[in-house]
Amino acid sequence: MIKYILLVILILALNACTSVMPWEKDKLAKESMSLEGINQQINKIEEHVYYSKDGTKGGGGSGGGCGCN
Amino acid sequence: MNKVLILIVSLSLSYALKVGERVDSSLINKLNIDTNKIVIIDFFASWCHSCEKEIPLISQYNTTIDKNKIEIIGIDVDRDKSDGIEFQKKLKKSNNLNFRVIDDPSNEIIAIFKPLGMPALYILKDAKIVEIIYGAIDDIDQVLNTKIKGL
Repeated sequence: MIKYILLVILILALNACTSVMPWEKDKLAKESMSLEGINQQINKIEEHVYYSKDGTKGGGGSGGGCGCN
Repeated sequence: MNKVLILIVSLSLSYALKVGERVDSSLINKLNIDTNKIVIIDFFASWCHSCEKEIPLISQYNTTIDKNKIEIIGIDVDRDKSDGIEFQKKLKKSNNLNFRVIDDPSNEIIAIFKPLGMPALYILKDAKIVEIIYGAIDDIDQVLNTKIKGL
């Protein structure tokens, strides 16, 4: 029975997904990793659309920092 | 085989330091911490914009404290050390960084604390964690002042 439980845990541990720790987000925080890429003009236009239509701002990052703003 | 399985299971159960827990003496020595002082550890990185906003405020707070009782230590977790050094230079040049910084490019130190977010501030008293503050806080200097006074 224990062998089967360990086997299940082993299979779960072998999945391809990994969690990125908060201090490992250096590459994710780069501008080139944002959805619009390094073209800041597109980013500004999008932000303007969201701000004027929805009254929302920010949240366009890809995961750098604390994730709270 | 069983030993390998036990190792995998134990590695998967990652463990973060929490309030009330004691920091290992080897780490205390490594960070050169004086346990007679209240120590504030600030984990930051050059890519963390919130950290960049907080560091000048923490430096401002550092000018108001009694250095015999309180010490602030920064830990730069930039994996590219040159980025970190460049970032620190920039801050020092504008008088926005006035506390001791330890570089942690291999992330050995932060991997022990395992904060849930960045920036992360740990307040230590007698080598024990008494407070953890995560994320960007606009008036972090005031918050630190209040928390330290309450200890």
